[in-house]
Amino acid sequence: MSFIEIAQVLYDSNIGTALRESVYAFPIVEGSHLIGLAFSVGLILLIDLRLAGLFLRKVPVADLLQPLRPWLLGGFALTISTGILLFVAEAAKVIIIPVFPLKILAITLAGINALWFEFKWARRTSEWDEAPVIPNAVRFAGLASLGLWGVVVICGRLIPYLGGGL
Amino acid sequence: MTSLELFSALQANPISNFIGHQNHLFGAVAQLFHITGLILVLTSVLVVSLRLLGLGLVRQTVPQLVQATSRFVWVGIALLTVSGLVIFLPAAAHYDPNPIFWLKFELLALALVLHVTLYRKVTQSEEAPRPIVAKGTAFLALSLWFGIAFAGRFIGFY
Repeated sequence: MSFIEIAQVLYDSNIGTALRESVYAFPIVEGSHLIGLAFSVGLILLIDLRLAGLFLRKVPVADLLQPLRPWLLGGFALTISTGILLFVAEAAKVIIIPVFPLKILAITLAGINALWFEFKWARRTSEWDEAPVIPNAVRFAGLASLGLWGVVVICGRLIPYLGGGL
Repeated sequence: MTSLELFSALQANPISNFIGHQNHLFGAVAQLFHITGLILVLTSVLVVSLRLLGLGLVRQTVPQLVQATSRFVWVGIALLTVSGLVIFLPAAAHYDPNPIFWLKFELLALALVLHVTLYRKVTQSEEAPRPIVAKGTAFLALSLWFGIAFAGRFIGFY
């Protein structure tokens, strides 16, 4: 079964059809996807800017990472779950738009980057947080995250414009 | 002059006409700036409001967080205003009968008034505000800004 066939099955499913045709449910899910973005991508943006030395430079990175982690992860739970619903509702139309696979690729790379940062650096901040200069690899992880999430948001917002009948 | 007459006049002016005659991706680019501005404002208000509620970045003081995020708020509002005008002007008359459009701007007016009054007072005073005032302000600010974002998403569905 190809991706396009799977997308068609999702599109034709009861939940896909109900969401697409509902006056309220679809915009509510879209609104929640947007609010989720403020928690997920928004908070990660602040951490990326800190790693790049552009935000709360004097505050240890650990003091941002630890208290923001539950809010950020909660935000991703909301963004991803509402994203899946939005995809199901429009799957057959979305799957054929070239920016959609690009968006999924950027999410995957951003996720790998975040996991690498989490296990390689964030779990042992004490080893580098006090240093006067942030290690280059950490700065790179921050900038990569910034760029990749930027691509994700841009692709996501372009979907309705490049999808013809969406 | 009714709002419809005003909006029709706005839509008919040469600048609106010029914007309206661009490729439809021009509108998409305006939307990209709009969402960037929105993320900057929402996330800044979120971090400060969580702190007022005693959550999130509790090791920083409220004025510290306000100071660190204020440039994001103003850059965000500037991006939202310019891109918002680009989205609004070429179709101004079309928005006039939309109740959600009006709701969004009523909420925005309330949010901006709150931002320069109570929010500013609570977040910039040297002495800590009373907890009930701090929490109430945070709750109001978050409700209004999230409400604006939600209403914005709803406009196109009416």
